[in-house]
Amino acid sequence: MGLSSVSTVTEAIKFCIFDLRRGQNEGQELDKILFFFPADLPFSTQLSVIGLSEGLITFTRIFSPEAACEVIEAEGHSHVFHEAEQDIWMVMVVERCKESEAIWRIDALRRVLKEVHSLFVMFHGSIRALLDKEPSGGLVRSHLYSFVMDYLSDFLIGKKLQLPNFRDSLKERGTVQMLTVGREAAIEVQSLVTVLESCAGNAKCYSMILFQDLLVSTTLSPEDTINLFTYTVLRLSPRALSCGMSSWTHLRKGNASSQAETGSISAHSGAVLDQFYHSRDASSGGDCSNYIARPLQHGKWTKGKDGFLVTDIWNAGPGSSISTTPTIWLHQTEERMYLCAFQHRNLTLLFLIPVSSIPNREQGVSIVKQQILENASLKILKVEEKLSKGWGGENAYHVSGYRYLILDGDRNVSRASPPAKVATLTKDSLVALTKLRGEVDSEKSRAKWDGLNHDKDLEICIRAKNNAWVIARVTRAKELYMVLEKANETLLYASDATENFSNRYCNGAFSFN
Amino acid sequence: MHQKASSSQSSAGFSGSGALSHVYIQYPPLRCSIPGARGLFYDDGNKLLLSPTSDQVFSWKTSPFAADVAPTFDSVNEGPILSVRHSLDAKFLAIQRSTNEIQFWNRETGNTFSQRCKSESESILGFFWTDCPTCDIVFVKTSGLDLFSLDSELKSLHLVESKRFNVSWYIYTHESRLVLLSSGMQCKSFTGYQLSSAGIIRLPRFEMAMAKSEANSKPVLAADDVHVVTVYGRIYCLQVDKVAMLLHTYRFYRDAVVQQGSLPIYSSRIAISVVDNVLLIHQVDAKVVILYDVFSDSRAPISAPLPLLLRGFSRAMTSSSQSSSKGAETSEAHGLNGTESVVYGDGWSFLVPDLICDTANGLLWKIQLDLESISASSSEVPSVLEFLQRRKLEAHKAKKLCLAIARTIILERRPVSMVARAIDILVTSYSYSIKTGSYFKGMRAEKSSSSGVPQVKKPSSTADVSASRADTHGKSVKYESSSGTRYESVKSSTYPASDSEDDMSTEPKKISSGNSPLNTDITGDQDSQVTSAAISPDEMYSFVFAPADEEMAGDSSYLVAIIVEFLRSANSEKIKVHHNLYVLIIQLLARSERHTELGLFIINKIIEPSKEVALQLLESGRQNIQTRKLGLDMLRQLSLHHDYVLLLVQDGYYLEALRHARKNKVNTVRPSLFLEAAYASNDSQHLAAVLRFFTDFIPGFKDTSDHNTYCRILAEMNSSVAV
Repeated sequence: MGLSSVSTVTEAIKFCIFDLRRGQNEGQELDKILFFFPADLPFSTQLSVIGLSEGLITFTRIFSPEAACEVIEAEGHSHVFHEAEQDIWMVMVVERCKESEAIWRIDALRRVLKEVHSLFVMFHGSIRALLDKEPSGGLVRSHLYSFVMDYLSDFLIGKKLQLPNFRDSLKERGTVQMLTVGREAAIEVQSLVTVLESCAGNAKCYSMILFQDLLVSTTLSPEDTINLFTYTVLRLSPRALSCGMSSWTHLRKGNASSQAETGSISAHSGAVLDQFYHSRDASSGGDCSNYIARPLQHGKWTKGKDGFLVTDIWNAGPGSSISTTPTIWLHQTEERMYLCAFQHRNLTLLFLIPVSSIPNREQGVSIVKQQILENASLKILKVEEKLSKGWGGENAYHVSGYRYLILDGDRNVSRASPPAKVATLTKDSLVALTKLRGEVDSEKSRAKWDGLNHDKDLEICIRAKNNAWVIARVTRAKELYMVLEKANETLLYASDATENFSNRYCNGAFSFN
Repeated sequence: MHQKASSSQSSAGFSGSGALSHVYIQYPPLRCSIPGARGLFYDDGNKLLLSPTSDQVFSWKTSPFAADVAPTFDSVNEGPILSVRHSLDAKFLAIQRSTNEIQFWNRETGNTFSQRCKSESESILGFFWTDCPTCDIVFVKTSGLDLFSLDSELKSLHLVESKRFNVSWYIYTHESRLVLLSSGMQCKSFTGYQLSSAGIIRLPRFEMAMAKSEANSKPVLAADDVHVVTVYGRIYCLQVDKVAMLLHTYRFYRDAVVQQGSLPIYSSRIAISVVDNVLLIHQVDAKVVILYDVFSDSRAPISAPLPLLLRGFSRAMTSSSQSSSKGAETSEAHGLNGTESVVYGDGWSFLVPDLICDTANGLLWKIQLDLESISASSSEVPSVLEFLQRRKLEAHKAKKLCLAIARTIILERRPVSMVARAIDILVTSYSYSIKTGSYFKGMRAEKSSSSGVPQVKKPSSTADVSASRADTHGKSVKYESSSGTRYESVKSSTYPASDSEDDMSTEPKKISSGNSPLNTDITGDQDSQVTSAAISPDEMYSFVFAPADEEMAGDSSYLVAIIVEFLRSANSEKIKVHHNLYVLIIQLLARSERHTELGLFIINKIIEPSKEVALQLLESGRQNIQTRKLGLDMLRQLSLHHDYVLLLVQDGYYLEALRHARKNKVNTVRPSLFLEAAYASNDSQHLAAVLRFFTDFIPGFKDTSDHNTYCRILAEMNSSVAV
């Protein structure tokens, strides 16, 4: 869990999930808290944060019943709100500090909230459903605790929780990055998809194919694609697998120390906390009966001999040797699906089979896997070879002179300069870009609430303090952000540069006159 | 009894494609019985059937085959006739009068002259006309070959060359231009020459294998036991080994003869025909025929042995038996008498390549393949398709069958992988026919195979040849692949390659460029609607995919998968696909709400952009804005500015439309559309801007009614705001 130890150090960040429908009577306020980070804060502090948030929500609802507040910017803190499900709110409180790294873009933070919630729902179903299942809230609390903590551990840099800040302004969470493939390879991929989806007989299956961390093909709905893509990049892609391996020891260590510290903390917060997240320690402790699957746990996936990825996350308990195939919920069809993942070199294939279509569970799944090996192996080799041949490497999408981010809001696809190249930008440029993006975000949301179903065209060029050009172009749900350092000083130059970029790399989608 | 037989035949005749036979002869035959005829001769050089009487020679054209063809006749002097052939230019008639005299008859002038062999020790076995550039006629004598050129002015033959060796018997087919000369005690040593328009090629001497029944017996090979056949432009020699009950096959290359393995036989009398490059081995005693398609390496027969069917006769028989009671004499006028309708009768002789001459009754039959029943008899769809695609004679029928098969397997929802293989075959075939040009010109394979003369081929390396020669008895199939055909089998493993083009040296190409006049009789005889069986992507669309879509309404994913396989095939063969197929994919995907995948198809260019595709995207995008945008983007990328601007205006993006219109100088869209859109957005500033734009950029706009109308509207809007 690694985080509890950090939490005492970084009080700068607070993160809570609460249910407005619960704990409405005096004395039962604790009941509304579903998750709080840092968990070892005294309940009074937790309640004051939640109380303030709830007050703000109630207040703003007076003016805007449909959509209450999204963000409150106080002098020292920003509160970011996200209503994940009806009356279930996620609130993140971050410290505002001009000098340090703590320069945030609110929408980026909100996207973190959205992401953790979508992933949670994908694996465990909705929070409301879990609450309905066990009204006491113990079940959902224990699930949320382990899940969100595992999720947040990805943001851990050293001992510090580092949420996406201005340095990530050329990235967009909640979008998919695609591999550009040639026609021939695309047809081969499509042919492979057919073979894959016919392996499970008549059941309606879905598949997703990734090359390294880039999406190649999907038959899932856009929402499900984003969720599964995110999970794959986090835990299943070849890079994630090798990461998991190398950081395993480090995490182990962190885990052990955190265990000691949580122990000491829970000593003074007493039995209440234990009761609160009563099965929190189940995975590391003994309590097998309340075993909770932790899909985001690090280093739990490995590649089996047959090429399928295996994990013991879903096994009945820590000691259980019977492997259980993971299942996920599809957002679109609300169907429960088995998740099979196959990896060959850089190619990761995800294959979803409806649970309802396989009566004899594990046995049925292994039959389907066998079918995949038999029918699709050759095609998988061929596709991998084709894609590898066409792959331009790490910096394939680098355009020299430009640092850019292209967003396609319709397709939830983004493409950006490679991180190593973005890292060469100065802080000034990035901060300016963060601000610019913040402006565009608010412009967009304003247009949304104005009820204009027309996407507005927008073009902003800023000359930053360090003489870099920071450019945003928005047209018809497509967005282009760009930083040009060491560029000529005329606006005409900047505009021409953007025009050229648009024509050469975006099929002229951003070309204005 | 007669009735019974006819009724059973009629059922076969009606069904046509029953499992009763794969090969048939069509009633009526060509009747060639002339009173006083002294036998029937087949002149394969001119494809004429000749029947001499005491002072006349009647001749029937057999190609194109027609039952009602009238004979022509030449008057000749009386005398014995051992053999008779027209010269290839049809000006002369050569008649072998005895074993040492051949008489020539100028058909125009009626002049004659004779050529005798001088020596008493030799006799003429036969003769044939040739299109070889150095000579016109070849005499085969017991002492060897004499090659003569004909001097029509001087009315004499001029000896060009003679080749000396002992000859026991010989066989020659004009189709292969190959003469095989047998010698030796057992007559199993062979020398061969190919005398084609490309010149004279001498084949290496070779021996045929013969099994011995007993230790000391030495069977003698008869001329009847050796057949030269031409299949897919390759020349094979088939030798019947009656002791081993095997049919040994040899293939001729330019400087090697390579044994190709053996086929089993089930009858001591074997006859061989070739119909449309399919090898027909008649097991005469068993009265069945076995079909082989020797194109592929497999030596397995196409289908089970089945009898040869006499088709179309039964109906004539029943009608004639109705009109007159039943008498062989009366029905002879229309039908056939008892002996005439006997299949594999004693009088049957098989003519190269696909004719049967019933010498006893004076009938000539042409053998035909029943493609329907052959394709119905096998469940191996890919191999059936391959077989059908190779057919040239009934290409139209083969094509229709292929289309029907393709449609059926899709409608039956066979596994995608299997359908994909079938599609691969059709697409490769089409691609091949495009390359050779046979698809467009409807040319026959024989024509494309350089002047219609199959060439003996040249193995790629001499080392291999010596190896293959050394081992003529062993499994030389392997050697075959290592010597001559490796290249060919890689390059055109499925298609009737005009072999000579593939691996023959450059010589035949020279000839193929100029059609030498001697070939006209070969190429001109099949001009009736012959095309290749290849199926173009357009035909695939209109006869397979579109009907399948109609019939399968509902589940589209299967059909999409099939079409993707088709695209894969077409792409690997670099064949363009018509946009109507892309439009169909879009319809199918949109119908099943698979917009994400549709997006991938467009972005990855699996669906190639075109105006039609863009318009279909816009149409299908009525329910899905992303898909609609893909269509708009495609219009823009295709530089279809007018449509793009118009659609932008219709969608209310009038400012973008205006900008785009100005940038790309689109002035075909009416200003009023922009003004209406701006007015509809209820933004007076925008309306004013649009109005200003047109006033500035369109000369004379100020005087139009649009300008006045919208100026007034603008004024009203502003005043209402002010109020």
